[in-house]
Amino acid sequence: MSWPVKTIAERTGDLLPGSPWTAALYVLLTILAVTAFMTVTGLVLIYAERKIAAHFQCRLGPMRVGWHGVLQTIADALKLLLKEDIVPRDADALLHILAPVLSFAGMLLVMIALPMSPSLQVADMNIGVLYVTAVSGLGVLGILLGGWSSNNKWSLLGAMRAGAQIISYEVSATLALLVVVLFSGTLQLSGIVQSQEAGWWIWRAHGCGIVAFAIFLIAGTAEINRTPFDLAEGESELTAGFHTEYSGLRFSFFFLSEFLNMFVLAAMTSTLFLGGWMPLHIGHFTVFNGVMDIIPPGLWFTFKTTGMIFLIMWFRWTFPRLRVDQLMRLEWKILLPIGFVNLFVSAACVVTGCYFFAR
Amino acid sequence: MPADSVLPPAESVATPEVLPPPEKHVGVGGAILGAVPWIDKTGAVGGVFRAIRSLFGGMKITGGYLMRPSTVVTQQYPENRETLKLPDRFRAQLAFNHDENGYHKCTLCRICEEACPNVSIIITGREKPAVSKKELDSFVWRLDSCTFCNTCVIVCPFNVLRFDGTFESSVYDRRLLSYTLNQYAGPVASVLEKMEDPEARKAAMEARDPYSGAAIIAALIEKQKATKIAERAAREAAKASRVAAKAAAAAAAAAAQPEPPPEAEDVG
Ligand code: SF4
Ligand code: SF4
Repeated sequence: MSWPVKTIAERTGDLLPGSPWTAALYVLLTILAVTAFMTVTGLVLIYAERKIAAHFQCRLGPMRVGWHGVLQTIADALKLLLKEDIVPRDADALLHILAPVLSFAGMLLVMIALPMSPSLQVADMNIGVLYVTAVSGLGVLGILLGGWSSNNKWSLLGAMRAGAQIISYEVSATLALLVVVLFSGTLQLSGIVQSQEAGWWIWRAHGCGIVAFAIFLIAGTAEINRTPFDLAEGESELTAGFHTEYSGLRFSFFFLSEFLNMFVLAAMTSTLFLGGWMPLHIGHFTVFNGVMDIIPPGLWFTFKTTGMIFLIMWFRWTFPRLRVDQLMRLEWKILLPIGFVNLFVSAACVVTGCYFFAR
Repeated sequence: MPADSVLPPAESVATPEVLPPPEKHVGVGGAILGAVPWIDKTGAVGGVFRAIRSLFGGMKITGGYLMRPSTVVTQQYPENRETLKLPDRFRAQLAFNHDENGYHKCTLCRICEEACPNVSIIITGREKPAVSKKELDSFVWRLDSCTFCNTCVIVCPFNVLRFDGTFESSVYDRRLLSYTLNQYAGPVASVLEKMEDPEARKAAMEARDPYSGAAIIAALIEKQKATKIAERAAREAAKASRVAAKAAAAAAAAAAQPEPPPEAEDVG
């Protein structure tokens, strides 16, 4: 079974020769749909996080607004929209306003490259992996600017911590990502998904996949500033870190991009290591593969991403926060050497063709 | 001190659901550690594996809580008011232990009053003509200043006090937060039980309601006010006498230039 990939960008291109207005309308609808998707995903994630966190801690979580509190996040979002939007007097007003937008933009730009199903992907670049690595760096710029422009020592400390942390862990994340690029032989995200038709890279790559998966998950959790790596906003140390001085709509931008970053990380992990929208296949077992193909690819993507999100939430509500020096030691003395060795071993595997179902 | 007075006479301390102790966990890290005998289990590499194992152990515990909704301890208070389940040692309001006849055992020893760190217990006794000793008139407990430290319950040698779960104590006037805990003013249970005549017993017991204490507090406040007024009057008198002394000294100095009056400093 082949999987023809058609992106939204390509469909717009097809429409363009006929009537530019139809194409423009199509683009507009796409933008609306993406916005709606992000809002809904963000709200659902926040609700899920609160509920799951509560049950991890023997609590119930929101119960009052709507059935089991399902409308709680909507109520909170409305409240945030109505809050006064404060720019502190001594803050750098332009940068203060720009920072949440940059942070959001970094997340948004990664989002458009995610392959959610063969027919649902906004743009499919032939250098997708490189693009994702590059634009996700915009997020740290937003955090740094937010902390810097607030003119507040806690914000500045949080931002500097976040900067050091994200830049350090980006190295390990990229090394783990390169393992998959080596095995699949392409930088295109849909190409990486297609290359897992015989099986997911996490188990096909003779252990290298599992190591790379673990490194990517740890480094990714650090990059999105979630516990156990939430030093940038550790409330017991820095009140709220880089977004201490933010309120109302701008705070909600930071908040939303934090949660959608979790979605992006989960989606990237499942795309790279768990086959993205590709159903669970095992080599040449045609019958088994056929049965798995009954479930549509979009659902596979949803399952895998949800599973990863759940895992990340589980981490957050179990593990204690690291100290700054422990954080740096974990990256530079443990993850980075393991990542390099893993990269060399997988290069050897690829050269000798020593992995499951090599072509 | 008898051992049973350390805790309030809780009806039954339910054993909480105990999760398996964390040392027993054999997670993925533990399995690897066990399978590779040449790893120094106390060294740096062994430390990494131990760390991984403890992380998995933690995840097992939190995951166990997530999987079993029965472990949720949250009370949905106004809705489940009828079926509310409070912890056995929850401290809400101090209460007197009255037995089935309505008698108490408070001997007016005042140990609890002495032990209370912030004078939340005010005990008044009264002379009883029938028995030569003093007996309890009112045992006033001030909820508004109590810190729920439980000291009074622990120190009472006769196990008279306990904390019960009546927690809906909000009122609009803080004077209503002073409760009289004893239901009657009169002798202790053992004395009452020795009385043959029920009429005599009844005569010995004078009923008290929870808010007869408010009057006592009001009286205390009045007394405090009176003390303050008296103090102020004394201060003003002292000031007036000082001014008078100064004036007298000035007059004396004007009369006899060379010697300053020595009493001028003493008055202040
Ligand atoms: S609980 Fe503590 S503060 Fe309250 S009345 Fe007893 S001894 Fe005093
Ligand atoms: S309550 Fe107990 S400690 Fe307090 S006066 Fe009565 S007998 Fe003594």
